[in-house]
Amino acid sequence: MLEQLPQFVVNGIISGGVLALPAIAFSLLYGILRFPNFAIGTYLTAGGFIAFAANATLGLPISVAFLVSMLVTGFLGVGIDQLAFRPMRERRPLTLAIVSIGVSFVLENVVRFIWGNEMRGYQVPVARGMELWGIRIGKEQVVILAVTLLVMALVQLLLKATRLGKAMRAVADNPMLASVKGIDSEQVILKTSYIGAALAGAAGVMVGIDTVVEPLMGFKLILSIFAAAILGGLGSATAALGGAFFVGLAEEVSLIWLPATYKSAIGFGMIVLVLLFRPEGLFRRKG
Amino acid sequence: MVNYLVAILTFVMVYAMLSLSLNVQWGLTGLVNLGHVGFFAVGAYTSAILSKLGFPFLSSVAMAALLAAFFGALVALTTLRLKEDFLAIVTLGFSEILRLFLINESWLTGGANGITDIPNPLKGFFLPTDISYLVMLVGVVVLLFLLLERFRRSPYGRMLRAIREDEIVAATAGKDVFRSKVQAFALGAAIAGMAGAFYAHYLVYIAPEMFIPMVSINVWVALIAGGSGSNKGAVLGAFVLMGFLESTRFLKDFIPLLGGFRLAAVREILVGLFLILLMIYRQEGILPEEKTVHD
Repeated sequence: MLEQLPQFVVNGIISGGVLALPAIAFSLLYGILRFPNFAIGTYLTAGGFIAFAANATLGLPISVAFLVSMLVTGFLGVGIDQLAFRPMRERRPLTLAIVSIGVSFVLENVVRFIWGNEMRGYQVPVARGMELWGIRIGKEQVVILAVTLLVMALVQLLLKATRLGKAMRAVADNPMLASVKGIDSEQVILKTSYIGAALAGAAGVMVGIDTVVEPLMGFKLILSIFAAAILGGLGSATAALGGAFFVGLAEEVSLIWLPATYKSAIGFGMIVLVLLFRPEGLFRRKG
Repeated sequence: MVNYLVAILTFVMVYAMLSLSLNVQWGLTGLVNLGHVGFFAVGAYTSAILSKLGFPFLSSVAMAALLAAFFGALVALTTLRLKEDFLAIVTLGFSEILRLFLINESWLTGGANGITDIPNPLKGFFLPTDISYLVMLVGVVVLLFLLLERFRRSPYGRMLRAIREDEIVAATAGKDVFRSKVQAFALGAAIAGMAGAFYAHYLVYIAPEMFIPMVSINVWVALIAGGSGSNKGAVLGAFVLMGFLESTRFLKDFIPLLGGFRLAAVREILVGLFLILLMIYRQEGILPEEKTVHD
């Protein structure tokens, strides 16, 4: 089994890349809104299906469908924020967590209502995989990783170099101080909701390209996404990226010893271990 | 018709127990639990397995409650020293991983096929089995209600409510906040486990597909609709929930286009929307918690 290790490592890097975007989305939303948004998994599912509609139903190429999906899922996130979360801004964060579970439940079933329970796939040109030193890598997977890293770089740029990014960090850091300084927190929430949902939607398309599109595709990943975000300390986007690769690698490499059905138990196990021993995340110095 | 009514009331009683148990955790103490179905499942499987091994009914129900309490304490211990958000994540994770375990460890749980021929202790009693079982469940719920009502009014219950309102004040008053929260969470889990045991012996068949997140959502709907913090509300909420679920069954008579998966989807959308609307507009429920001045 151990000679397969390089293959599992490569697979782990790919799944880490897929986890990275929703994990960053979760961290960003958590930073601004201060509740764990359980609907993030279903945003991912919605993104996968919106791209399916654009690609398989409307016949657009997958690259265009990907952009359409990000665009539309972002608006979906904003709409949900306005309808479900906005009336509850002043409540205990935990009641919002419960509402977000309700939202995820509703959204998942809207997807079921429209598209049914079947597994779907995109219309993508069949690409031959590569083999390097006995490691199989699909062309799609290389593309997925490249696109993830590109989107990541854009997110970093947005956070570090724009006014919005500064405002987001200011609100995450200290909402009171931010509002004293004249930052309109509702505007920041609106934009963060858009970016968060769009990132999750993008991940949905990647999962769909890598595997299949189905109503539970996002919910199945939710523990891994949380694990990645918590490992990253729920703080910075870079730390969430690190967390995502860590979780992706651990999940894939564990397949050497564990049956594949227990893959999401790895994410859960990591959540518990981190909470017990390093609740501030893996990449932050105790302070 | 009588059979239908008996079945519905039996489900109401099971959900009343679940809602009462969530009320101990959330209503009284303010501890979120998004994986209630996990503790329910632990109870159902424990009692089913033990009674098939020949354990008498009451002892297998007691073991079910005990094991669920053990898992409840474990989950609480890992997260309760931290921010409460983590409890939400870990409870959900617990119920999902448990379901994986139920599906995969068929040597113990029967895998996806589940467990069949679970003995019903009241079989061959002088009334029809279902009716005597319902009578027993009503008795259990009434007893549970009375005990929990006493518990709520007791100094201990008062302390839990104080923790819910303001942990720091409770801690300053010399209360061991962490320990009380773990105990309250374990107690709620135990009651959910007991509900699971009663459920398993009623259905005589259980399988992992019965223990999906939908069940946890239902319990939240029941508790929030009835009135979080109030035991009366928790019981009433179980009736409201079942009435709501059953009435959506008749949707298909009105909307003929809704077949199969679409109908199922619409019903679940309605349950989810109901929960969201309750949380936004009527968080105190139908029977709000009584506010007493002196305590």
